Amino acid sequence: VSVPRPAVLLLLVVALAAVAVYPAFGTGYGVRSMLQLFMWIALAGSWNLISGLTGYVSFGHVAFFGIGAYAASILITKAAWPWLLASLAGGVAAVALALVIGWPCLRLKGPYFAIAMLGLNEVLRALVSYFEGLTGGGFGLSLPTLQATLPIYYVMGAVAVAVTALTYLIITSRFGLRLMTIREDEIAAEAMGIDTFRHKLMALLLSAVGPGVVGGLAARDQGYIEPISVFPLATTITMIVMVLFGGKGTVWGPVLGAVVLFFLQEAVWARFIYLHQLLFGAIIIAVVLLMPRGVLGLLQLKYRLPRTI
Amino acid sequence: MNVVITPAMVGQVVVSGILAGALYAMVALGLALIFGVMRVINIAHGPLLMLGAYATYFVYSVTGLNPYATLPISMAALFAVGVLLQRTLVFRVVDAPELSSLLLTFGVSIALVNLAQLGFSSDLRAVEFLTGSFVAGPIAFSKSRVVAFLVAAAITAGAFLFLKSTRLGKAIRATSQSREVAMVCGINVQRIHLLTFGLGSALAAAGGTLIAMIVAIQPEMGQVWTFKSFLVIVLGGAGNYPGALLGGMLLGLVEQLAALFLTTQLSEAVAYVLLVVVLLVRPTGLLGGRQT
Repeated sequence: VSVPRPAVLLLLVVALAAVAVYPAFGTGYGVRSMLQLFMWIALAGSWNLISGLTGYVSFGHVAFFGIGAYAASILITKAAWPWLLASLAGGVAAVALALVIGWPCLRLKGPYFAIAMLGLNEVLRALVSYFEGLTGGGFGLSLPTLQATLPIYYVMGAVAVAVTALTYLIITSRFGLRLMTIREDEIAAEAMGIDTFRHKLMALLLSAVGPGVVGGLAARDQGYIEPISVFPLATTITMIVMVLFGGKGTVWGPVLGAVVLFFLQEAVWARFIYLHQLLFGAIIIAVVLLMPRGVLGLLQLKYRLPRTI
Repeated sequence: MNVVITPAMVGQVVVSGILAGALYAMVALGLALIFGVMRVINIAHGPLLMLGAYATYFVYSVTGLNPYATLPISMAALFAVGVLLQRTLVFRVVDAPELSSLLLTFGVSIALVNLAQLGFSSDLRAVEFLTGSFVAGPIAFSKSRVVAFLVAAAITAGAFLFLKSTRLGKAIRATSQSREVAMVCGINVQRIHLLTFGLGSALAAAGGTLIAMIVAIQPEMGQVWTFKSFLVIVLGGAGNYPGALLGGMLLGLVEQLAALFLTTQLSEAVAYVLLVVVLLVRPTGLLGGRQT
């Protein structure tokens, strides 16, 4: 693990301080938007951990978000857990789900994992609707009213920072190098003695924590969840687009993608829902074909920036 | 909920499962061909099926043609779409890492679904043509499903015959076994790729036409078919084309049994559990490895 240069550290501290004092000056709308942005940074960063680093595409990462939201909401409504603890439990639930899916699918090379993830959110939606007693079925779950936007703002921000810091730690470590070896050539990685299954599984488990916790926080923040609101394919698509646009397999790519696309989405595209999704499809195609390393990859090439950003 | 399960109900389930199975097999064969020849999992396979259903709907409602007669039209249209996709986009990722082709076809899938939302709106549409059922003793078969079964079986048989005994079919199988050797034998591999993507899309379109008369048509009807087709391929063994038949029948039966013993809601979850179990126990598929 290498330590960033002092100037970079200073910049980071200033940025964090600005975000931390923002609620004292910002409008209610501004604070809500920032909270959303933190959520997207955490989600995009988490997707990057499995798909950006190992090359195993997760088409269903929203499943971890959704199961975190349900686990936390059930604990809050049925067992009166405090929301912070319940959200952390949401992270645990997401890891458990990741283990169940990752164990059979990641032992194999190839597209099995991607496709298994593709079907996962539909299945969870069906299961949640079926177990009505626990989940409220199609009616959803209403959480007790609570005014906690500000604490949730800080916790969500902390999760976004944690995911980004974790990404930095992984990318600059031997563990991260092994993950990237798997991405570049899995057979060679095996020949070098890397236990590819365990590494892929570990990456998946780490990538499930963030969405699980964030799901719990988002559920608490909105006060109401239902199957269609926490398992939308659109959330997975947005995560993928953010990471691809910013630069997959990098530390700051997901952050950059989340910031740029979130504000564009808020300012312009939210009014044209299908056009907006169509554009996301087009961005994915364009990035894969024209700039597979994303915006950050282009900058790295042009300005000879280090690989570890 | 205490339901008495009679032999007639089981018979009904087996019949419905087999009827659905042929459709699954035909659609999955399209995905399996593309995967076998190019090692590309086409995530847009389901949305192509959706376009096939719309093709039938529009031709039927504009011209009043018998919807079964629209089959060649929708297949030809989607063959063209498939060739176009391959020619403009997919050929660029055939040799790239798997991540690229998965993400590219995922992007195509999103684009197609949302183009359909924009162009056709998300209203539910239906082709009400062959309603009602054939009744044989205690078992009833929905007419449109019986016809869909027969047509799907015929098309699948035709596709196998094409692969088995025509020069082009042999070229496709050769390319799927080894691209380099196929090239050495003078096969134009690029053209085989175009043809394969077109054929795969046409098989999806045929599925779309047939289920247009069974379920409601809407832009998001397709995605679940990508997953189901892949499940069928895994059940039968990737790269093993006849395996798709077995896989399709098995998926149809399992879904119907789940609907009988559990609820329809859970039948989708059961199909998923089936995938996970097969990957765990026998990842090479029930019929074993690659044999084209």
